[in-house]
Amino acid sequence: MQIIFERSGGFMGRKVSLSLDLEELPEDQAQILKRLVDESGFFDLSINPPEKSVPDGFTYSILINTETNQRTIQVGETNFPPVLRPLLENLMARTRSH
Amino acid sequence: MSHRHSIFCILPPHMLEQVAQNGSSAQRDMATHTLSASRQIRERRISMAAATMRGNFTAASTFQRTVYDAKFGTNLPGTIARKEGDAPVADISVNEAYDGSGATYKLYSSAFGRNSIDNHGMKLDSTVHYDKGYDNAFWDGQQMVYGDGDEDLPVSERLFNRFTISLDVIGHELTHGVTQYEANLVYSNQQGALNEAISDIFGSLVKQFQRNQTADAADWIIGEGLFTANVNGVGIRSMKAPGTAYNDPVLGKDPQPAHMKDYVTTSQDNGGVHINSGIVNHAFYVTAIEIGGYAWEKTGQIWYKTLTDKLTSNSNFQNAADATFQSAVEIFGAGSLEQIAVQKGWAEVGIAVNGTSPVPTPSGEGCLKGLMRSLGLAA
Repeated sequence: MQIIFERSGGFMGRKVSLSLDLEELPEDQAQILKRLVDESGFFDLSINPPEKSVPDGFTYSILINTETNQRTIQVGETNFPPVLRPLLENLMARTRSH
Repeated sequence: MSHRHSIFCILPPHMLEQVAQNGSSAQRDMATHTLSASRQIRERRISMAAATMRGNFTAASTFQRTVYDAKFGTNLPGTIARKEGDAPVADISVNEAYDGSGATYKLYSSAFGRNSIDNHGMKLDSTVHYDKGYDNAFWDGQQMVYGDGDEDLPVSERLFNRFTISLDVIGHELTHGVTQYEANLVYSNQQGALNEAISDIFGSLVKQFQRNQTADAADWIIGEGLFTANVNGVGIRSMKAPGTAYNDPVLGKDPQPAHMKDYVTTSQDNGGVHINSGIVNHAFYVTAIEIGGYAWEKTGQIWYKTLTDKLTSNSNFQNAADATFQSAVEIFGAGSLEQIAVQKGWAEVGIAVNGTSPVPTPSGEGCLKGLMRSLGLAA
């Protein structure tokens, strides 16, 4: 499984991004990520269109590629599905460790 | 408004005074006449402005602030932490959001006669402690939202402080609300960068107004205090010198251009709205320095009129340049120093004003040179 994550926009307008190949991660970390993707129902999740323009809001883009599925979800502050938040937190934490 | 001879349009009073004292008899007469006419016009403008302000104060705008606490979650607005009239609480973020929205209201009310975000006394709602490790602030269409930066990391790893720390950030977010009710600029590409610049401009004016700073005394930094000591930078953006606010091994370098030749074409950040805003920010700065004094008094007036009367949702930089030039004519007169300063501000960032207004000469320099020539002071 590959995950490409990107956060753009925000008050600063700075992009942060991350590209992960789960094969290359330690087994325990890969398992956690697989579980978070499964629990979010990523490939079946219905995304509402953004309700309104949100000045300075972040835009999140998550692309996940498996042997059988590929999908990119792009969401903003007002249409972020709560079910996706644990996965987002894991990915964001990875972009912040420097 | 009386018409002055076009040739007297822009010579500054101190130069005219020189001519009035030291010129030939005919030069002295012309200069003396011009000085007297300028004084009358200036006095009339000041009394008009004062009358407008008195009117606003009698309208007695009351404002209604509420600060909510999201408690590190993402449900908005959260629970009430402080409402209008309450004494300060122990939580510094709550007090900063409360005081900052009050300071922003005060600038709009005192300097521009505006009654809150919608000009109809809209309540000012803010939420602090939004999300965990949330290094951002935004306007959600109805309220301001502030994160705490890197509060969840060890101190040695933190890059961002809480976003309420910076008064101009609060003014910036509230101004997104004002723009939404006025020009309603589209939030992408050049329109979005103009939207962003307007938020930086009025955000900076909120800070300058609160500090009682003239244009030359202000730092023109947006987001001062947002970075922790771990970051090499003075703030997020510099209106004075776009592209120089930070240069850091982790965050990279401030990407803002200060000139159209460096305009960044990108699909990121809604088409670089936080990047290309540097161009408009700098045009405002140059104009404000050129005019001098308190930036909210003249340059701010020109931009407020432009935002509320002239820009529309699809306005781009060129439209803003032309509209501010026109606003300067309407407020200060054709050929006024203020109008020339607007033109100079835009010229500095590579945008030539296409004045649609009746201006006495195509450019300020031509006007000045014409007068100098007529007085025998230039070839």
